[in-house]
Amino acid sequence: MDTGLTLNHFLAVSGILFAIGLAGVLIRRNIIVIFMCLELMLSAANLTLVAFSRFNTGANGAPDYHGQVLLFFIITVAAAEVAVGLAIIVALFRARETTDVTQIASMKN
Amino acid sequence: MQQEFIPVLIQIVIATGFAVATLIASVLLGKRAKRNQMKDSAYECGMLPIGEGQARFSVKFYLVAMLFVLFDIEVVFLYPWAVSFKRLAVDGGQLVVFFSALSFIVILFVAYLYALRKGALEWKD
Amino acid sequence: MTFLFYIFAALAIVGGIGVVLNRNPVSSAFAMIVSFLGLAALYIQLDAYLVGTLQILVYAGAIMVLFLFIIMLLDIKSEEGRQFGVFSTAGAVVVAGGMLLIVAKVLKNFEAGEKALTPLKGAAAETTDVSAIGELLFTTYWFPVQVIGMLLLVATVGVVVLSKRELR
Repeated sequence: MDTGLTLNHFLAVSGILFAIGLAGVLIRRNIIVIFMCLELMLSAANLTLVAFSRFNTGANGAPDYHGQVLLFFIITVAAAEVAVGLAIIVALFRARETTDVTQIASMKN
Repeated sequence: MQQEFIPVLIQIVIATGFAVATLIASVLLGKRAKRNQMKDSAYECGMLPIGEGQARFSVKFYLVAMLFVLFDIEVVFLYPWAVSFKRLAVDGGQLVVFFSALSFIVILFVAYLYALRKGALEWKD
Repeated sequence: MTFLFYIFAALAIVGGIGVVLNRNPVSSAFAMIVSFLGLAALYIQLDAYLVGTLQILVYAGAIMVLFLFIIMLLDIKSEEGRQFGVFSTAGAVVVAGGMLLIVAKVLKNFEAGEKALTPLKGAAAETTDVSAIGELLFTTYWFPVQVIGMLLLVATVGVVVLSKRELR
């Protein structure tokens, strides 16, 4: 059964998602949405890992599970990052009463 | 194995279809009323609405939610361990499978004790 | 199954665009959940069942709930006034467009990427990915797992210190 799908299909989706996340980080001013776009870029990288793991089959035809183990670690790091990052954003909001990054640029000049 | 997911797909299609069909039907069958600001405002027993519709949450909720995310990850790691433990440790006799999971749990237990001692899980303020 | 790939890839990409374009942060968060659901379906199409489930459980279930909590907690209004600055939008279009061009160029010349997705056969189809990942995690990668445990410990300490105003 030929599905007609190739590795490039998945890599293209991953690239498009990464570009969307990149554009979001540059365009948006709300720090929480910027944080979400960072997560989107991280997920795009995850899709690349899974795609390469699936297509890089070993001698017995099984996917290369090392890539999926790496994805486990990435998801863990992302969860810890979100927890600490959001705690920092809440602390920032308490001090400055804003989530607009243009308002928090006091280190400029 | 992917064929086993076809029921899930069918369920997604039915659920989405039901939601869309209900929305379309309510637009087609319902009467159009004239809208004005008074009619669109929230109904609070006849009083004028006070404050915002979205209430702000207390900080206590989000501290618990963050700790939940961190300990959720622990379970994520223990699930593949539980699935493969019998095959690896009992048959293969590999002690590393047992002790690495044990020390992982101990490390996270220290984290739990810290949160407990600092009063992060206490509800009253 | 090819049309399913296109449906779920479109879901992931449309969700991603929704995150960037929605003015209200709550709508952005929901668009993000849609994007993650599409990605999880793509993982399952790649025979990575555990990872796909994890994507829904951890990302869509836990992390996005945390995001929604924070949005509710801080009571963030939609961005007011002009949403996108001219300079930042132009810069973002240039950078993201350049990125897409580079990806397209690389993929065009990437011969290994022409490999077709064929169903798993024989012994590979018999072993589940859960037990294979569990075996790798707790034998080959036992030390990184301990490091991850320490990371979670540090993150717990950080969250408690940052959020508790008066520590005991």
